[in-house]
Amino acid sequence: MAKVVLGPIGTSRERALGDDAWRAQLAHARALNAALEAKREEVRRGWGASYEERVKKKGKLTTWERVERLRDRGTDVLPFGTLVNYGRTFGEDAKTSPGAGVVTAFVQVEGRWVVAIANDNTVASGSWWPQTPEKIQRAQEVALRLRLPVVYLVDCSGLFLPEQAQTFPGRTGAGAIFRMNALLSSEGVPQIAGVHGDCIAGGGYMPIISDVVYMTEQAYMVIAGAALVKGAKAQHITSLTIGGPDVHVHLSRCADHRVPDDATLIDCVRAEIAKLPSPACAYYRYGADPAPPRFAPEELDGFFPADHRHSYAIREVLARLVDHSLFGEFLPDVGREMVCGVARVEGLYAGFVANNLELTDHEVHRGRKRPGGILYRDGIAKIAQFSRACNDDGIPVFWLQDVSGFDIGPEAEREGLLGFGSSLIYTNSTNDVPMFSVLLRKASGAGYYAMDGLPYGPVLQLATPLTRLAVMEGRTLAIGAYNARLDDEFRIVAKDEAEAEEIRRGMAAVEERIGRDMDPVLAASNRDVDEIVRPAEMRRWIGALTTMAYQATGYRRIKNPRIWSLHDLEAIT
Amino acid sequence: MFKRVLIANRGEIAARIVRTCRRLGVEAVVAHSEADTGAPWLADAAAAVCIGPAPARQSYLDADSVLQAAEQTGCQAIHPGYGFLSENAVFAARCAQHGFAFVGPSATAIRRMGDKIEAKRTMAAAGVPTIPGSNGAVAGLEEAEQAAAKAGYPVLLKAAAGGGGKGMRRCDRAADLASAFAEASREAEAAFGDARLYLEKLVEGGRHVEFQVLGDAYGHAIHLGERECSIQRHHQKLVEESPSPALTPGERDALGHRAAAAAASFGYRNAGTLEFLRAPDGALYFMEMNTRLQVEHPVTEMVTGLDLVEQQLMIAAGRPLALRQDDVTASGHAIELRINAEDPDAGFRPDPGLCTALAVPERVGHGSVRWDGGIAAGWRVPANYDSLVGKLIVHAGTRAAAIAAGKEALRGLRIEGIKTTIPFHLRLLDDPDFVRGAYDVLWLERAGV
Repeated sequence: MAKVVLGPIGTSRERALGDDAWRAQLAHARALNAALEAKREEVRRGWGASYEERVKKKGKLTTWERVERLRDRGTDVLPFGTLVNYGRTFGEDAKTSPGAGVVTAFVQVEGRWVVAIANDNTVASGSWWPQTPEKIQRAQEVALRLRLPVVYLVDCSGLFLPEQAQTFPGRTGAGAIFRMNALLSSEGVPQIAGVHGDCIAGGGYMPIISDVVYMTEQAYMVIAGAALVKGAKAQHITSLTIGGPDVHVHLSRCADHRVPDDATLIDCVRAEIAKLPSPACAYYRYGADPAPPRFAPEELDGFFPADHRHSYAIREVLARLVDHSLFGEFLPDVGREMVCGVARVEGLYAGFVANNLELTDHEVHRGRKRPGGILYRDGIAKIAQFSRACNDDGIPVFWLQDVSGFDIGPEAEREGLLGFGSSLIYTNSTNDVPMFSVLLRKASGAGYYAMDGLPYGPVLQLATPLTRLAVMEGRTLAIGAYNARLDDEFRIVAKDEAEAEEIRRGMAAVEERIGRDMDPVLAASNRDVDEIVRPAEMRRWIGALTTMAYQATGYRRIKNPRIWSLHDLEAIT
Repeated sequence: MFKRVLIANRGEIAARIVRTCRRLGVEAVVAHSEADTGAPWLADAAAAVCIGPAPARQSYLDADSVLQAAEQTGCQAIHPGYGFLSENAVFAARCAQHGFAFVGPSATAIRRMGDKIEAKRTMAAAGVPTIPGSNGAVAGLEEAEQAAAKAGYPVLLKAAAGGGGKGMRRCDRAADLASAFAEASREAEAAFGDARLYLEKLVEGGRHVEFQVLGDAYGHAIHLGERECSIQRHHQKLVEESPSPALTPGERDALGHRAAAAAASFGYRNAGTLEFLRAPDGALYFMEMNTRLQVEHPVTEMVTGLDLVEQQLMIAAGRPLALRQDDVTASGHAIELRINAEDPDAGFRPDPGLCTALAVPERVGHGSVRWDGGIAAGWRVPANYDSLVGKLIVHAGTRAAAIAAGKEALRGLRIEGIKTTIPFHLRLLDDPDFVRGAYDVLWLERAGV
């Protein structure tokens, strides 16, 4: 019998961080958090009060009112994809599409996590914009990966036609949503649809592939709206008469239930969710209880230095994320620039891999120190092995990134860094255990890829307001671009001051452009990260994601801890 | 039942737990620090394990050392006693990881009752009366004003994130609330990084009455009556009695049942104590729950005839409680006198040192006497720990008879080489107010016995 022994980590904030540093870092974080909060609020308002008023006049609930009613009282709603299309405009009159006109969120309903996909009726009556189909598919993909029930709250007037070229024909065009509907169904993932209003053209396939379909009196589903039906005007035919509940509940049987209004529909959806199997989480806690960290997660807002080149104690971060601040570190004396291990989150086992930003001893050259945030050979081997073991054992893994990239130089090449790096990439490409990436700060170079960055298919990728996403830091890129004009210490070599000034300005321009490209809001707008969260919110997200990873049974391997591969590794190392 | 139990505590409570283990045929392994090497309570243990140097932080509070000791000696359970690691939720969780039964409640219950706001909310939901005030932290001054008006002045503002008197302000009038709120909030932010405050009616004086509860792992909980603990000096209890002179039989039954039901409502397991304050106006309020065996548990044992440590071990081994509420009967009156190595004539100054002689009375004229001690002739009481060296418990048919027995027992208790609180207790038992049961938590410091 092998025991899972977790030890206490972390110290009080006062000891981990001096008061002055804490206050300075907290002030910096608060400014960033306030900016993030403002953007969230801006998106939430949709197209503004007048559009909300139009929804009210129809006797409908707004989309956010529907989502709020759907959730269990007192529980979190965790929206993701909030900032998709943020800062972009469409059409000749420069329209915005807040949240791509759709709310996708994790919602707790009758004690179960579900993925809610709700067209935002305060944004052009729920039209689909460029990236709307992709945002919806991302939500469906997450649901598929974790086998979470999906709730569609449909209120969709079809494509935003001026941008149809970006939304209709491509591989991930609007039709791919229906393909995902089919895949979810084929994998036995429950899908429940509530049709609140317009459901035109392709929009109709989404609810009908769902297991249960509810329609309100104002709802209709049509392949083509009345506007496209010849003679409709003369015969006083409307979309409602063509495809309302009179037709689809009673005649065509494409829908199941007729309900009077939005509120009743939401209540019925909740009742459907209540019929599903209870979550398996309590079973997989193996007798433990959920417990908060001993050190307050709220303190994380002040834990990160404003300057990304300054280090912080990663174990103090972990201590504010895991139950009781207990953590079982794997091979702590090997590859110290990486920290990995197992902990309980909400009473459930989860693996963590994180960069240690502090200086560590060189593996070979005694007395020398190496900077953190870099993937060196031994650290790579450690986390690759840990990742494979967690995959074998069914332990979901969180990759907390603050990585500059892989080790470089002749020594690294001779050590076979390319091979070790490829092994890690191979592992994270082929793992099927749920893995999540959290971009704490730097997400640079191939290190970002290797630590389960988005191209490697994490179930979800979170960022913080401090996140910097780039192939390399701006200064590094500037050095690379102007290398011919620099000496071995990267100092400018020029024949005169004018030329030196020109080089200096050129390098600064490169740094500035990279700085703009690294903005996490830009990444979120382009769907390169799923959601930006405040550091203080990380525990809530990690707790929810871990719970989701254990909610469903039967689709993935979950070993009991007695037979973990991790124990084998511990025994032979 | 367990074959071997590690006792992670020292002094009289360690000796007391060893006694029950021996009676049940369980081997008791006692962990001790270097300062307690050769301690008298180790003599009856099946084995003793040194877990570190004298400072508690490196020995009795060092969870790693305690767990290692239990592992090395092949124990199945760990009994934390009281103090030290007994109300440490992380330690309880770590015991479970190693497969040791923690003889006490779950980590969740310890954490939940350790959070004063959550404890109060849990009890209120279970129908136990709590001090009027805000329901958790107040959102701002306006909400504080509403809560204060409803609770009635004077009120106390307290930091939600911590204690130790920081972020605490007394407020006698509505006019003073704004400035008190601002000051307390600033102080809480500076001390705990969290400016949130909660508010409670201020109850001055009053009596400390507590109910003993037992719960098993299957949802069944009972109460074992109450203890009176109002003889205090600087919030430290000196004397405890059961039953309380201040409670009527009807009140005892009603409140006891509510206490047991409250414990059952959140699945409380093992021994615990709900502490109440009886306000001068007669109202009874829940103050906090201790999720461990109490120092003063012997008075409950003397009046009920039950062995609480035995019950604890049975529950920890997964046994359902064999007792039903109707099985619990109380007879007579018990008084516990804490014998501290302190000089009551010099402001209760601690007086550790070599005990040169110890004589304990074995019987008294009317009633019975029990000594739970952590001291013996030749033992040098270390200065590193709490000054409690033993508890003298007497039981008799009536309170008056118990007082008489107490005086007789005290005269027969001889501890030489160190000053103790024996003279203080003799004076106390002679005091007319005490004899009448007319005292509250502030009485001792006013009366100056």
